[in-house]
Amino acid sequence: MFGRILRKSLSKRKSRIAIAVVSVIMGAAIATALLSVSMDVSEKVGYEFRKYGANLMVVPKSDTIEVGFPGVDFGSVTEQRYINESDLWKIKTIFWRNNVLGFAPLLYQVVSVGYGENEQNVVLSGTYFNKDVEIIEPYSSEDDTVFNTGIQAISPWWNIDGSWIDNPDDDKSSMVGVNVAEKLDLKIGDTFTINYIQNYEDIQNVTLYELIVAGIIETDGNEDNQIFVNLQVAQNITGRIDKVHTVQVSALCNACPVDTFASEIMEKIPYVEARTVKQLVSAEMNILGKIEDMMFLVTIVALLASALGVMTTMTTSVIERKKEIGLMKSVGAENKRIVFLFLSEAAIIGVIGGIAGYVIGFVLSQFIGMSVFSTSIAPRLEIIPIVIGISVGISLLASILPVRRAVSVEPAIVLRGE
Amino acid sequence: MSSDIIRIKNITKQYDEKTRALDNLSLSIKKGEWTSIMGPSGSGKTTLLNIIGCLDSPTGGNIFINGTETTALNQTELTRFRRENIGLIFQQYHLVPYLNAVENVMMAQYFHSLVDENDAIEALKRVGLDHRLDHVPAHLSGGEQQRVCIARALVNEPRILLADEPTGNLDQKNGDIVLKLILELHREGHTIVLITHNPQIGDMGQNKVVLVDGKINAKKLLLGGK
Repeated sequence: MFGRILRKSLSKRKSRIAIAVVSVIMGAAIATALLSVSMDVSEKVGYEFRKYGANLMVVPKSDTIEVGFPGVDFGSVTEQRYINESDLWKIKTIFWRNNVLGFAPLLYQVVSVGYGENEQNVVLSGTYFNKDVEIIEPYSSEDDTVFNTGIQAISPWWNIDGSWIDNPDDDKSSMVGVNVAEKLDLKIGDTFTINYIQNYEDIQNVTLYELIVAGIIETDGNEDNQIFVNLQVAQNITGRIDKVHTVQVSALCNACPVDTFASEIMEKIPYVEARTVKQLVSAEMNILGKIEDMMFLVTIVALLASALGVMTTMTTSVIERKKEIGLMKSVGAENKRIVFLFLSEAAIIGVIGGIAGYVIGFVLSQFIGMSVFSTSIAPRLEIIPIVIGISVGISLLASILPVRRAVSVEPAIVLRGE
Repeated sequence: MSSDIIRIKNITKQYDEKTRALDNLSLSIKKGEWTSIMGPSGSGKTTLLNIIGCLDSPTGGNIFINGTETTALNQTELTRFRRENIGLIFQQYHLVPYLNAVENVMMAQYFHSLVDENDAIEALKRVGLDHRLDHVPAHLSGGEQQRVCIARALVNEPRILLADEPTGNLDQKNGDIVLKLILELHREGHTIVLITHNPQIGDMGQNKVVLVDGKINAKKLLLGGK
């Protein structure tokens, strides 16, 4: 009988119930969308930031000798040191290894580049473009033993005219910075020569090497003045086998402090220093925190608006049904039965609003994901019970005052028509 | 005294300083009696009926119904006592508009104890509404609605039936049908307390009480009833 009363009472007042359900839907949809985005946003924003380059720089530890005498400072002399390429796999064996999105070693050398009648001194940078690095001793037996990485992974924002060098064994291709290409009048497909003079006092020891322009790089940074080749090519030309100067690491740091990354890398490769790009990291954290705060506030406001909507509808419902409540009491309904009836209606409004709100909120989250982060937001099933729970909770809370009003109905008065 | 099913001792109902609906009123009603309450508007008839029906409480005095002092019960106990002992028939019928005839009767069962649709249908058959079981109040005539109200009052087999001008909103024909039903219930042994403005109906029971300004102005033993 309770079911019949509930069903018929709800269907009799469809338009009123619809208003309450719509109120809940709005709150639930916004809660769903922002919860979904919030759960994804740290990751998404993290990835967005990662598109703008590395946030960790690994360099060899160096001994520095201050040069000068009292009162006169000539700066410092630093012994040139290298990182062994054969140790780089260890970066992928730290505790937070899954948050290492990529790394790219760099070996620099100033070389003389000749094309036609033009000649220019340019920094030649050897790196990984798209390299499968073998993880010799993975952190866990479940980890992959191969990690594909390179400058493409950590700097996807570079503007490339032509193509990347996809083959790590390609010893003929190069990617030329746009300023170098302009000065030497180099175009894609052109072949040019580099001269590496190993010893200025022995002019006979010159290495000549021919390279083809596979792509022209434009970054508006130092890269525009460099020529990039596969690391192996740079090592062979300069005779620095297995050596690199620095390693740029792109780490996704939402749950973990980037400083932890740095210290873990230093543990794995003791002769290096890992430096965080502090400014970028703190900006990331700051923005992430602000986005989450804003989403939380918007959700609270939306849920408050929902609660007001439900409260208004329920109050109107109680006023309209005063006689019905009085009658129920007169035929023996205890207050708890009246409370149960109204709270059941509120719970149904909450469940319907919560389910519909989840669906609409999911669509909304896709819209936010696509328009703000240019990516879809993954559906999260764990949000469904949370949103339905919140919706039912809001509906029940918003019904407390109206239900108190229902309980205070005096049958003798309302049945007399006063 | 022991056969009094309703015993009212010096009850007073004061709404505010100026408004006293009942003034030191005492009355005893025996089990199975029909008592008619008459009087001008504002004389306290409905207040008295509401207090007997545990819908309202007096500000002074005591009431004993079926041996229980209802003036000593709290709100929840009054509700329970009412549903166990009293059936209410209203002048305005007060049916739930979205429930059909059977469901309106079943609702009283639901708040009383267990719902039995067959018993509800039987109660409606008894008041001659077996052809209107699934009609909602809006599709029933005034007389039919009042008969649903009587079926609802009967379904839990209360000892006492309280009727507040049950024929007041009905035409002669429907009024006669309803009155006949109440007479039948009285013959079956129900204690009836009925408010009416109609002198003929007022003379039908064993007692007639006339109220004026919250006091019993006249009390008359009649030969009517069974």
